[in-house]
Amino acid sequence: MKKIELIAIAEDWFHQKNWKPFPFQKKTWRAFLQGKNGLLNAPTGSGKTYALWAPIVLEYIKNNPDYRSKKKKGIKAIWITPLRALSVEIQQAAQRFADDLETGLTVGIRTGDTPQKERAKQKRSMPDLLITTPESLMLLLASKGYAKLFKTLTAVVVDEWHELLGSKRGVQMELGLSRLKTICPHLRIWGVSATIGNLEQAQQVLLGTDKALLQESVLIKASKKKKIKVKSIIPKKMETFPWRGHLGLHLLEEIVPIIKNSKTTLIFTNTRGQCEIWFQKLLEKHPEFAGELAMHHGSISKDTRLWVEQAIRNESLKAVVATSSLDLGVDFAPVETIIQIGGPKGVAKFLQRAGRSNHRPGEASVIYFLPTHALELIEASALKRAVKERVIEDRIPYLLSFDVLIQYLVTLAVSDGFIPSEIKKEIETTFCFQGITNEQWQWCLNFITLGSQSLQNYDEYKRVTVTPEGLFKVESRRVAMMHRLSIGTIVSDSMLLVKYVSGGFIGTIEEFFIGKMKPGDTFVFAGRTLELVRLRNMVAQVKRSKKKSNNVVSFMGGRMTLSSQMSEILREELQSEADHKYQTPELKALKPLFAQQEKESIVPKENEFLIETFKTREGHHTIFYPFEGRFVHEAMSGLLAYRISLLSPITFSLAYNDYGFELLSDQPLDVQNVIDNNLFSTQYLFSDLQKSINATELARRKFRDIAVISGLVFQGYPNKMIKTKHLQRSSQLLFDVFRDYEADNLLYQQAFRETYEHQLEEGRLRLALERITNQEIIWKNCKKPTPFSFPIITDRLREKLSSEKLADRIKKMKLKLEK
Amino acid sequence: MMQQITIHDEHFSLDPTGAIFWHEQNMLMIADVHFGKVAHFRKYGAAVPSRASSANYKKLAEAMERHNPDTICFLGDLFHSTLNNEWRLFETWAKNTMAKIILVSGNHDIISPHKFEALGISVSEGLKITSFLLTHHPTEREGYFNFSGHIHPGINMQGTGRQSIKLACFYKKEHQLILPAFGNFTGKYILHPSEKDTVYAIVDGEVICVS
Repeated sequence: MKKIELIAIAEDWFHQKNWKPFPFQKKTWRAFLQGKNGLLNAPTGSGKTYALWAPIVLEYIKNNPDYRSKKKKGIKAIWITPLRALSVEIQQAAQRFADDLETGLTVGIRTGDTPQKERAKQKRSMPDLLITTPESLMLLLASKGYAKLFKTLTAVVVDEWHELLGSKRGVQMELGLSRLKTICPHLRIWGVSATIGNLEQAQQVLLGTDKALLQESVLIKASKKKKIKVKSIIPKKMETFPWRGHLGLHLLEEIVPIIKNSKTTLIFTNTRGQCEIWFQKLLEKHPEFAGELAMHHGSISKDTRLWVEQAIRNESLKAVVATSSLDLGVDFAPVETIIQIGGPKGVAKFLQRAGRSNHRPGEASVIYFLPTHALELIEASALKRAVKERVIEDRIPYLLSFDVLIQYLVTLAVSDGFIPSEIKKEIETTFCFQGITNEQWQWCLNFITLGSQSLQNYDEYKRVTVTPEGLFKVESRRVAMMHRLSIGTIVSDSMLLVKYVSGGFIGTIEEFFIGKMKPGDTFVFAGRTLELVRLRNMVAQVKRSKKKSNNVVSFMGGRMTLSSQMSEILREELQSEADHKYQTPELKALKPLFAQQEKESIVPKENEFLIETFKTREGHHTIFYPFEGRFVHEAMSGLLAYRISLLSPITFSLAYNDYGFELLSDQPLDVQNVIDNNLFSTQYLFSDLQKSINATELARRKFRDIAVISGLVFQGYPNKMIKTKHLQRSSQLLFDVFRDYEADNLLYQQAFRETYEHQLEEGRLRLALERITNQEIIWKNCKKPTPFSFPIITDRLREKLSSEKLADRIKKMKLKLEK
Repeated sequence: MMQQITIHDEHFSLDPTGAIFWHEQNMLMIADVHFGKVAHFRKYGAAVPSRASSANYKKLAEAMERHNPDTICFLGDLFHSTLNNEWRLFETWAKNTMAKIILVSGNHDIISPHKFEALGISVSEGLKITSFLLTHHPTEREGYFNFSGHIHPGINMQGTGRQSIKLACFYKKEHQLILPAFGNFTGKYILHPSEKDTVYAIVDGEVICVS
């Protein structure tokens, strides 16, 4: 059959449904049928499933003209999705198309939730389209005879590729694809991505570095841009609106009419804790919402989340308070309005959330922005501009993630075994490992076979063995089982399950929170007041409580940083402020605050770098305002404190937010000295950063993931606790052991590399420092704290830098006594 | 760098390795070495550096040289798990040690006592010497002062500016002293002392009273 005829089949199907294929869909069909690989840039809810599933079916029809009477066995395509929740929707759409065309093709799902029986059935006879997650694909590669299983494969589609790209699951995908390319000679690889700043790079990461293959690939953009309207909720009385804070409850009443006037409203918060609190407070103040208000975040049990998602579709809910757990995936047609509470910190995230509303063509999506403190109104103003100008962040892919490579190599060793020279050729074509050296490769092989030691006769290290034929293979059944269990385990050694005494599962909670409580204490979680009955193993058993409790569950981490794109626009907004232009309603509303700021200090222009000093009861404050986002400030404050401490003995306490950072000391700091000594220099940046306090602590945190992924720490499944009493160890302990005895270990070093590249954003830090050296430094000695400084100096999360000896420091510290 | 204390008129040195030297008995007490833990992990596929285990012997030699004891008493959890190749290292060490070796067995000591006895090591559940009771698990007995291990005690130190640090320690109550874990791949359990307790923290080769 000719291409035109094939495409006509799909078009007919669209017409039968009274639809019309979009140009991007037809473009994708044609490219696919020409045998091309590619990346499709299309937003959620645009019909991307049909853009790629249709040509897979057409290809099958082309190769099997008598497809109606005779079905060809074997898997045809794999559809990768980062979220299990999305798979059902895709399955229904794909199955409908396959059935209507009478192809007899089957669509199956395989994720961590798929029952064992179903999985075994799939292995005997694969569905034609398999919808699965990156982890489950890895598990398939860990099963014997996988090459035969995948022999008939013609296409892999990676959905939501932008989501995987900046994570280690993306690396997992790159490695998996490198293997599939070899064992399936007719494979086509396609990705689907939302708009990000680096789409071309995303395409390259997906397809690998093979030049011929890249040249034959396409990037297709669904050019339809949605109109997005941003409305800020501006406090009526600016005078009483707080200068700091992160909850935003002051404006709670403002959103009530918005909720009431709209069919369904999604209220996005930035953290799970904030989500719990907003849900609680909304119900408390407006009991009339009871039964029509729900909550959705990553720690709530899957059943509840699915129920909420279904209820949104049924229009049985008025509003849902959510976190990023609702950012992705399935469409919720009834959603009319979106409210964002607090700065979303990034344009892409904001756009994605805005896009969740109102899918009626031609009409604009409306998103309300609710500031949690006064200065966030500048962020709102900046966001509006960013949306208008379509400034979008990049997703930075990981490089040389040895932990994932080690996991992958053991995976291959568990199934059929591998020959290093063959696999090396494959992984060298991936984006992540294109720069791997021979030494690094040998180190990885040595790690899995000899435990990164030279051969010693008393060593009993056992993981991967080498057969006389040179095949790397796992022979121990126990090692194989432990490895399979550890693929895809959620990284967190401090998560506890919350269950009713009677058995129902409510969600997961961090140990640090529940650790503070005694049986009988109550807390609020998942919108319910619960009483802790007992802690057993990794389960917190609870029962419902009628008592009132203000102890809302909280979660660690989750603080996001302002993206560099947002930071830049923010600085430009301030420039307009310094010029007293008051261009936007947000900036107009901030007039009194800016007046106060200018009374004490200045509003910095684009070419100015502001430093403020003042004295309070707490000591001498020095505040710097680079406006570069929390992570860069974290690094820069440590760096600067370290460099200043070299000039004279001094002790600092450090604090930072998205706008600036503070060095607090018991002695005044001579800012002129800082300027004269050129302390913002990028020279010796790397070695100075290493010496500045927090690098080791941050790396220690990063090492947790690395230890789990590379198999140094075994966790088992959360609900299948495996007896490993003598194998208990924490990643913390391992980190110390590596530091003391094997500092050249690549995994240990990777923890530092990730800290610099992804946590401290070394690249951005360098650019920011370069910018500052070209700016005019303005030092203001103020009488009292300025509005800009207020959120920073009241931040309680502080770190300290000191050049004193540890033993001397300990002598000054106090023992934490029993309360 | 050591800390000298007196209990029931007898004299003890708290050593920065985590050992205690009893002057009157000329005895070195050591708790929770967990020999063989590194090998145990390696056997099950976790690549813990094997150098971490040889460091235990270095520490042991250091403490022996400093005090030159007649007797070494291990307060339990000498070996982490079943027999593995680290046993051979231990055999060599035990044969070359001039001091008498006693093992008060702990919950991890699942290796047969005969194996130890073959090396001339006497094994017991607990040991009474004058008014002192040496056990693995912290024990209270009328009229006795108890030395024990098992807990791997650690404490959390806090300073101004929200700094905090966790340290291994000797933990002394009125009739009890718990030794820190001697082994270097063992971790610690953070205790929250009350006003009556005395805590000696180990910091950079020094033992410092912090309570």
